[in-house]
Amino acid sequence: MSAQQPVLQLQNLARVHGAGATEVHALRGIDLAVYPGELVAVMGPSGSGKSTLLTIAGGLDTPTSGRVIVEDTDITTASVKELAALRRRSIGYVFQDYNLIPALTAAENVALPRELDGTSARKARVEALTALEEMGLGHLADRFPDEMSGGQQQRVAIARALVGDRRLVLADEPTGALDSETGESVLALLRSRCDAGAAGVLVTHEPRFAAWADRVVFLRDGAIVDQTVRNDAESLLSGQVAEA
Amino acid sequence: MKTWLHSWRAAIRIARRDAWRSKGRSALVLAMIALPILGVSGLDLTYRSSELSPAERVERSMGAADAIFRDAQVEGVPILQDPLGEMHTPAKDYKDQAWPNGRTDVTKAIPAGSTVLTDRSGPAKLTTAHGLLTTDVRELKASDPITRGITTLLSGRYPEKSDEVMATSQFLEVSGLSVGSTLSARNFDRTYRIVGSYELPDALGTAQVNALPGAFLAPYAKAVEKSGLPAPDNSTAYLVKKSGGFTWNTVQQINTKGVAVTSRAVLLDPPAESEVPLYAKEGWGAWDSSPGADAAELAAVGTVVGLAMLEICLLAGPAFAVGARRSRRQLGLVGANGGARSHIRAIVLSGGLVIGVAAAVIGTVLAVVLTLALQPVLEDMMKQRFGAFDVRPLELLGIALLAVLTGLLAAIVPAVTASRQTVLASLTGRRGVRRSSRVLPLIGLASVLLGGAIALFGSIVTESFVIVAGGSAIAELGVVAMTPALVGLFGRTGRWLPLSPRLALRDAVRNRGRTAPAVAAVLAAVAGTVAVSTFMASSEAQNRAAYEARLPHGAVSTFVMEEGGRDVPAVREAVQRYLPVDVRADVERVSVGKPGCDPWGGGGQDCGRYEVVLPKANECPLYATALPGAGDPSEKYTPDQRRKMITEDWRCAQSSGGGWVSVDGGLLVGDAKVLQVLGVDDPGAVKALAEGKIVSFSRAAIDKNGTVGIKQVTDIAAADKAMEKGLPAPGKVSSVPAYLVPEGQESYGVRLLMTPATAKAAGLATLPAGAYFSTERMPGTEERQKLDGELAKLGSNVDLHVEQGFVNDDSLFVIALAVFAGLVTIGAAGIATGLAQADAEADLKTLAAVGAPPRVRRTLSGFQCGVVAAMGVILGSAAGVLPAIGLRLTEEREAIGYYEEAIRQGWDNGLSGPPYVPIVIPWETLAGLLVAVPLGAALLAALVTRSRGALARRAAT
Amino acid sequence: MSIRHGLLALLERGPRYGSQLRTEFESRTGSTWPLNVGQVYTTLSRLERDGMVAQGGEDAAGHALYAITDSGRAELKAWFEKPVDRTSPARDELAIKLAMAVGAPGVDIRDVIQSQRHHTVKAMQDYTRLKAQALVAVENGGAQERDDVAWLLVLEQLIFQTEAEARWLDHCESRLIRLSATAARTTATTATSTATDARSTPAAPAPATPAPTTPPAAGAR
Repeated sequence: MSAQQPVLQLQNLARVHGAGATEVHALRGIDLAVYPGELVAVMGPSGSGKSTLLTIAGGLDTPTSGRVIVEDTDITTASVKELAALRRRSIGYVFQDYNLIPALTAAENVALPRELDGTSARKARVEALTALEEMGLGHLADRFPDEMSGGQQQRVAIARALVGDRRLVLADEPTGALDSETGESVLALLRSRCDAGAAGVLVTHEPRFAAWADRVVFLRDGAIVDQTVRNDAESLLSGQVAEA
Repeated sequence: MKTWLHSWRAAIRIARRDAWRSKGRSALVLAMIALPILGVSGLDLTYRSSELSPAERVERSMGAADAIFRDAQVEGVPILQDPLGEMHTPAKDYKDQAWPNGRTDVTKAIPAGSTVLTDRSGPAKLTTAHGLLTTDVRELKASDPITRGITTLLSGRYPEKSDEVMATSQFLEVSGLSVGSTLSARNFDRTYRIVGSYELPDALGTAQVNALPGAFLAPYAKAVEKSGLPAPDNSTAYLVKKSGGFTWNTVQQINTKGVAVTSRAVLLDPPAESEVPLYAKEGWGAWDSSPGADAAELAAVGTVVGLAMLEICLLAGPAFAVGARRSRRQLGLVGANGGARSHIRAIVLSGGLVIGVAAAVIGTVLAVVLTLALQPVLEDMMKQRFGAFDVRPLELLGIALLAVLTGLLAAIVPAVTASRQTVLASLTGRRGVRRSSRVLPLIGLASVLLGGAIALFGSIVTESFVIVAGGSAIAELGVVAMTPALVGLFGRTGRWLPLSPRLALRDAVRNRGRTAPAVAAVLAAVAGTVAVSTFMASSEAQNRAAYEARLPHGAVSTFVMEEGGRDVPAVREAVQRYLPVDVRADVERVSVGKPGCDPWGGGGQDCGRYEVVLPKANECPLYATALPGAGDPSEKYTPDQRRKMITEDWRCAQSSGGGWVSVDGGLLVGDAKVLQVLGVDDPGAVKALAEGKIVSFSRAAIDKNGTVGIKQVTDIAAADKAMEKGLPAPGKVSSVPAYLVPEGQESYGVRLLMTPATAKAAGLATLPAGAYFSTERMPGTEERQKLDGELAKLGSNVDLHVEQGFVNDDSLFVIALAVFAGLVTIGAAGIATGLAQADAEADLKTLAAVGAPPRVRRTLSGFQCGVVAAMGVILGSAAGVLPAIGLRLTEEREAIGYYEEAIRQGWDNGLSGPPYVPIVIPWETLAGLLVAVPLGAALLAALVTRSRGALARRAAT
Repeated sequence: MSIRHGLLALLERGPRYGSQLRTEFESRTGSTWPLNVGQVYTTLSRLERDGMVAQGGEDAAGHALYAITDSGRAELKAWFEKPVDRTSPARDELAIKLAMAVGAPGVDIRDVIQSQRHHTVKAMQDYTRLKAQALVAVENGGAQERDDVAWLLVLEQLIFQTEAEARWLDHCESRLIRLSATAARTTATTATSTATDARSTPAAPAPATPAPTTPPAAGAR
């Protein structure tokens, strides 16, 4: 895997909120690389800096020091305008809830980044429909968000996050507002997109959902304390037999 | 360019759906923008449709004829005319010679081989169902095809026999007659039958009766003359039809015969200005508005439109701000998905665009539909039938563009504000104090200073109203721009307030972004209202001070000068019957010549006039009769001498008292009751009347022998000639011993009074003229209306005056203005409150959660509304009073300037002293705006909030 | 106990012979509980002794077939209806380990927790991996669907169990952090109570054979 170029690279990242007495170190010395086809989950207690990490990775916030490299571009030096363009072309976001713009249909929501980027409405729609179809959401294309269930909305949001050439999904508690089974289906979709070659970063506090990741990164007080690497399934089984 | 377009399309789609999702708010803004557009488009359509094309105009004036020939009344000397045939003057200059005045035979000027139709009209006193009505009678053979288009037959048929007439629908309505009724005239024994009704498409409100040529006017004139009255005048025009028509050249040839021509061909194809000799003549230049006046008019219209748009923007802006605030998360999402700031701006701006376009379409379509639907009503209002329904797409498009522009402008500030938010802040919904721009208040301050300087310069140096008003307007806009900063100042006062108002004030000040536009909207409306009402209150005070009563308070006077006073007894009776009359004092006037004559010496032969002789010694040197070529006598004196004469010489002092009597020289014939009614308390005068003396209120009229001379001029032509030479008119003078009423008695325009017996003894004939009445109480409106109705039935021109003291005509306007300002205030404050509530929902929930009673929600929103209204009203009042004071000061300087100049020149302009230009602050209006409006707004908001709170609670469970 | 009832449940669907029962059991539980044939036959003979199954002929290949009896059915029904016994929590090594680690000199309990969590989450990841495969299998349907669904449920049981452990670890950690901030005096007692407070995870999971009414497992939507 490491032979490939990472889609997202965080290098020695630090973020300090406030100054003086109210200074808070939200992140310190974070190093992380996410490769194509990889889903990385970030876990940690609240206040450990999970969400800050994600917003910085997506260029919604700027680090105090360190570098963020998305697809060979160092976004820490990019202007506001360039960041917006980067979000249109390279980075997809999925939030906890209300991910979709209520005024637009599913297809239009998915097409939005493309249209904002200047693609013609028709072409953007074709791309959006393709993305939806790929994820088995074609039947939702012309529904408005308030005509969809929460799980459907989140799945459409994932489709939007990956429409066009985008292959980095940043998901912040995407299952937070969903029941267990629906949340699972959303993660299954995310998983399958990563298996198909996308790179994903998932912030969650639910171990069950983090377990869908290839790698789980544990954050504590703004620093990475540990990370897991996935086992081969079969070897685990034998180990588990002994425990049972 | 193309990508730009694509991303805008996405923005517009979002905005369009959002507008549809929040229908209430969208409808409100839409109505705000669409209503003015509807009004203006409707006006444009009405104006354009009623504006006739030359062909339509020709049809309505001359039917199918080729020209109208009219006598220029210059004894047939050659004339010059304008292409319309409306203005004409003799070709020759008659500087010091007698002006030609007399008729010529128009028919001689009509080329052979033409078809001619006469169109004669003159007034007649027609009998109606109610009484008499002076109406224009027109003799035109309306059934002739040549006249087609001049009249429109509505019902019945054209008159065919000489005892048949038709009448306009207006006449039928006013007279109470209908088709089939018979019609006659006073002093006339013939009767006519109305066989049809018609209208004049260009003058729907005209009462007119149409008869066959020769059927009415000539016999009527004869009958009137027989009854001893002068025959009514009539005018004749000739509709001429000739193959080939009349070119401008032909028209000019006909002009040489003293005949003015309105030609179809010339109207349809007017000659160039250089080809019109009339325009070359001094004083007859083509009547063009100067470019300067055009520019001023344009500037005025532009200012009004601009201010209206500003006001709408200020009102609609917060609504867009609410929209942007409500959809903040959505905008954050767009940002997270790569929407740059320009995209966010585009989305919010698209909101304005969508609403603006919708308002433009709805306004324009409604305007077209309503104008079409209301065409008959509009035509009646304009007293004119439309020509073709004239839709000018470019003009309507321009007006519609204004709507779009307004929508966009209103959305600009919210758009910029929304785009400044970081994506993260939008997503997390973090609230913070939104900093308002620091540049705007600075610009505001600069324009306040600049505007103030201009106004100051205007009022001190130039005395120009326009400059003062313009400077004030600039300063006012500056205050609007400074509103955010000013609102900040209010925050300091919050410390001592109890919880709810403190919360409201803090909230308003912390969120200047939404408070400021609403406050500015209120400010602008209130400032305008206060400025105008201060100005008008001051003018009213000035007018009140300058008001001159024509009679003692509550007294009534009535005069009828027509037909030798034939209707005077009836009028006197009517007044006595309908009004609460206490004392009636009949008055007569001295008459010279035939009784039916016009009292001012017109009306042909056997008519004369009288003059009250002004003894040479009593003449004011400044106004002495000038000999021809001697120049203005006042020029012989220095300004100082003139000033001295004006202010000190009694001969030059004109009666400063008010009042005016429609009789020459203020000479009335009546008894002591007149004095009683006029309130002249002088036993000497009563005694003098009884002794056969003439009572004079004017020292100048009495000569050194103690008599007043009254000259009867019988030969008016000779008198006019003597006048031209500066000589006294020939005539017999009757001298009557006089009694001078001591100074200080107000006579209300009566200068001389004698009893009928005295007049008779002096050899003066008298005619009834009218009466004075004192009343027991002020006649009411209802009594006046009844009397007016009764007098109207007489068909005479009755001069009736009821002295009610100073009546202010403008008060309704001020009230309407104040109501408008109040509505704007409440509306703006309401919008701001809605905005505040959208923001404060979380706070309110917290308040409720910590156990605040539901009342707090209501009082809070009430105070929020009140705070916005109060801030706007306070700032607006301050901003409005000052320019009004400036304008008044300018006026005062101007008036004093005129006065000084008048004194220097030696004109007494009737003012008794330096001009009085007070500055009056309309405290009632101000108090209403300052107290009642914020209070009302607060109560209204509190009232409305209760139901909303209940809804929210239900939704929450 | 559970093997006994598991075999009864399999036999309810028809007579089977010993090694066949073993194969079916394993495929149902996804080889999480491997059985040896000896265990199967021991259990079968005990069941036969208790009158819950009976030998009933041979199949074509000459295997001796066992069939469920009425009392066996009654037992099976009662088992399905009875909730899993929770009165005697099984011993949990982790709980004991943490309890001992509190206050032990030279041991950083946060490191203990993290290393356990690392292990737990990793296990979950692997289960989830398997589950993802099972989900695909279930969705594709086919003859084996019943077994796939059963396998899925077993896997999910494991996942949830592991998750409970992970959550418990999270909880322990945050509580320890808070307590260490207040005073060292109470550390020992609090840690002990923490360990006992925490709901113990049953050591021997009871594999539930899905009743026919059980809805098709997650992922079908």
